[in-house]
Amino acid sequence: MQSANMLLKNFVRCSAFPFAVQHGMKKDLFGLCRTLILSPCLKEGSSHNLSEKLDLDEWKKVMKSGLQEVNETVSEHEELSTLAAARETVEMWRLAGRSVPENISEDQLKTFIECPSKSSKKKYLKYLHLKELYKKNDKRKMDEKRERRLETQDKASKTDEIKRNSFTCLWANAIDKTHNWRAAQAMVFGQPLVFDMSFENDMSPREVTNTVRQIVLSEGCNRKSVDPFHIHFCNLKENSQYHREFIKYYREAWDKLLITVTDQCYTNVFPKDKIIYLTADSPKVMKTFDHDKIYIIGSMVDRSIKTGVSLAQAKRLGLETACLPLEKYLLWNTGAKNLTLDQMMHILLTLKDTGDWRKALEFVPKRKYCGFVGRSVHELKKSLSLMNTLKHGKRQEEVRKQFAKNYSKKLTQK
Amino acid sequence: VQPPEKPLQAEEWNRLRENFQSPEIFEDVMFNSMVRCNSPIDVAKSLLTYVAKSDGDIRYNLLIKYLALCVQQQKTAEICDVYDIMKMRFKILESGAYNLLIRGLSNSDQWRMALTLLEEVKKIMTPSRTNYESCIKAASHHQEMNLACELYHEMLAKDLVPTLDVLQAFFDFSRGMKDAELKKELFGILLYLRENQIYPHRTFMRSIKLWFESIPGENWRGHLTNIKDSGQCPVCSHQLEDSDLTEKEYNNLRERIITDVIHGSDTFRKTSPQEFEAFQTFVEDRLPFDIVIDGLNVSHIKPRKMQCENLFHAVNCLAKENLRLLVLGRKHMLINSSNWKQEIMKEMQNKADFFFAENISEDDAFLLYATLRSGKHCKFVTRDFLRDHKACLSDSLTRHLFRKWQRGHQISIKMIFSVFIQQPAFNYDCVVQTTGDTWHIPYKDTFEERYSYEVPRKWLCLKQK
Repeated sequence: MQSANMLLKNFVRCSAFPFAVQHGMKKDLFGLCRTLILSPCLKEGSSHNLSEKLDLDEWKKVMKSGLQEVNETVSEHEELSTLAAARETVEMWRLAGRSVPENISEDQLKTFIECPSKSSKKKYLKYLHLKELYKKNDKRKMDEKRERRLETQDKASKTDEIKRNSFTCLWANAIDKTHNWRAAQAMVFGQPLVFDMSFENDMSPREVTNTVRQIVLSEGCNRKSVDPFHIHFCNLKENSQYHREFIKYYREAWDKLLITVTDQCYTNVFPKDKIIYLTADSPKVMKTFDHDKIYIIGSMVDRSIKTGVSLAQAKRLGLETACLPLEKYLLWNTGAKNLTLDQMMHILLTLKDTGDWRKALEFVPKRKYCGFVGRSVHELKKSLSLMNTLKHGKRQEEVRKQFAKNYSKKLTQK
Repeated sequence: VQPPEKPLQAEEWNRLRENFQSPEIFEDVMFNSMVRCNSPIDVAKSLLTYVAKSDGDIRYNLLIKYLALCVQQQKTAEICDVYDIMKMRFKILESGAYNLLIRGLSNSDQWRMALTLLEEVKKIMTPSRTNYESCIKAASHHQEMNLACELYHEMLAKDLVPTLDVLQAFFDFSRGMKDAELKKELFGILLYLRENQIYPHRTFMRSIKLWFESIPGENWRGHLTNIKDSGQCPVCSHQLEDSDLTEKEYNNLRERIITDVIHGSDTFRKTSPQEFEAFQTFVEDRLPFDIVIDGLNVSHIKPRKMQCENLFHAVNCLAKENLRLLVLGRKHMLINSSNWKQEIMKEMQNKADFFFAENISEDDAFLLYATLRSGKHCKFVTRDFLRDHKACLSDSLTRHLFRKWQRGHQISIKMIFSVFIQQPAFNYDCVVQTTGDTWHIPYKDTFEERYSYEVPRKWLCLKQK
């Protein structure tokens, strides 16, 4: 039945080539009848016994046949604008099965065209593709959730039960109020914590976006803490990339944020001898959290290798620097020692509340370390080195194999 | 999945598909394995026919996979057909299809079509270097050397790096031709090798040799040889170019080291302006040095020994020859500790000049500056390859200069049985070079050279009789 349907479809498409259709239909119908009879024979792979020969080039006829109308539209606008051409290229890549977004906006296309190299173009498209995928998944989940909620509501309305409660349900609102109250208190009495916004020129636009996102997260967790910091954004120029990104995230809430924003440098706001610049490149290791000092975090995401940028900043201004005692407390495994801004915020908040390094360093991502330094240090170290040798040994082997494979491939291509 | 050996009927494909665990990707998986197993093209055709009949259309990625199979088996007529179909169906094609088409057609008698395809690619993007490689090879294979040269120059103009295969093709196919223009072109390629410090591999070298020997009426003779440390060719006893930079290159390199490596985007990242100024006056006062030593690097040579003893040993060995030494270190070396004994440090300071940088400054940058400032005779001692400093230089030309200078001026040290052995820096420059009636071409004996810093020791000596 299904194949008959297909045939019908073919018939509509192929009407320009009646001969091909007739041919195909005859054969197909014939085949359909015969499967019932011949199926046991087929298993032995005796397709040669079939009286009818396969027409191997038939697919070409089918491909060419459906084309008459398409062909005309192509010739209409031969010269494509660059934008349209780029859209067309992206579409073809999608057809070829590359990771490319389904929908692409005009702005994104422009960024795509401006990418300087092929690999950067590919990377950008892949990024858009993944973004689209996440968005789609989120939407699907939301829809499912809504449906479930509707179902439970239906049930609830059926049972028609009246709940009694002494509080009116205003949770979110009330919590917001207490958080803001605390943040307002911190504005007056709290310990300052400075984000240094002077690294715009060292970052790509995407890194700036990431930075701002991390700062937004940090601000959120600061507001929710029991004893928040008084956050300062220093060196934040009006209409800089940072500023624009912040407005994108906060919108009208930006002006109501309980933090201090200034375009001045922290050295003008605070006494120099109280400032400690936190940077992973610092030779000095932080021992305890000092409640009288003003800690500075450089607002920078570094996806390339730019070591010593924030250390240079501190050197230039003649400030004291410090890094977290990661080595002292953690058995480091992989990854760079620079942490994200929200992780730093969590760590500093915990230190401020408890002074307990172990508790604070729980916020370092688990993949980066093997465990806390403790009684079984030796065991851990041993297993770590063993693991590493195994891994590296294996990897070298892999690299060699890969190379041998590529090499022989290259030879055969010639 | 194993692709079938013979073309199948539609219902047989249908059965296979239904038995497959995820029928929606059946065709893709099947085509992939056909390409892998190099199945007969008829099998692929029968699958396409099946798909065309059941869906009324064939997806683009299936066509590409079929095309890959045709290219793999050199079915020129099929490639043309697929191209026609694609051209009708789609406004433009993407790079994957063009790559396959160009590769497939350039190896056939339809190679001129590959050229038109290359033109088409140019309309939507920059062709890849393999695209050019296919076309150039095809053109030179059919003795259209002018066309090949044209494409080659076009490729260079687009900042594409030609593969060694392309360059080799030029030498292979112009053997025995008497054409002054072409000869100039090929000499140009040899100069390209020289400028970019590319070393041909063994087979490429053979092509060069055969081409030279085939030039009518010029009587070239090629010999394979090893060059002595003195830089003299044992075959023709010609002295190779020395590794010194020209005055202009040298000054250029020095300027660039200061601007790119020491200052970079921010002087504070490696040092501070005050410190650099202090260092500059320090060096100017005591010029010129013969050898500049990276103190901390040298002090780590023997991990069992005390660090200052290692350094002391090295300084003693070099001081015997009455050389003016400069040792660079960091301030922490001046504090008495288990590794740095102050008596020994004092004694060393009588034999050499010392400069101590801040503990968080980079001493390597100072090492480069001091050596370059002292002049061409000055050498430096460190085990470091200085790759990160080379990477700071912003253009490849300066990086080549840096590498060349480094080869000539870096003394690497090995400690064998506690004897201090110096490995002399190369006296001669390891690049393709000519004097008009001789050519000396270094080549790699194996296909891959293990390390980029290693230079080949084998040479091709070409001489006109």
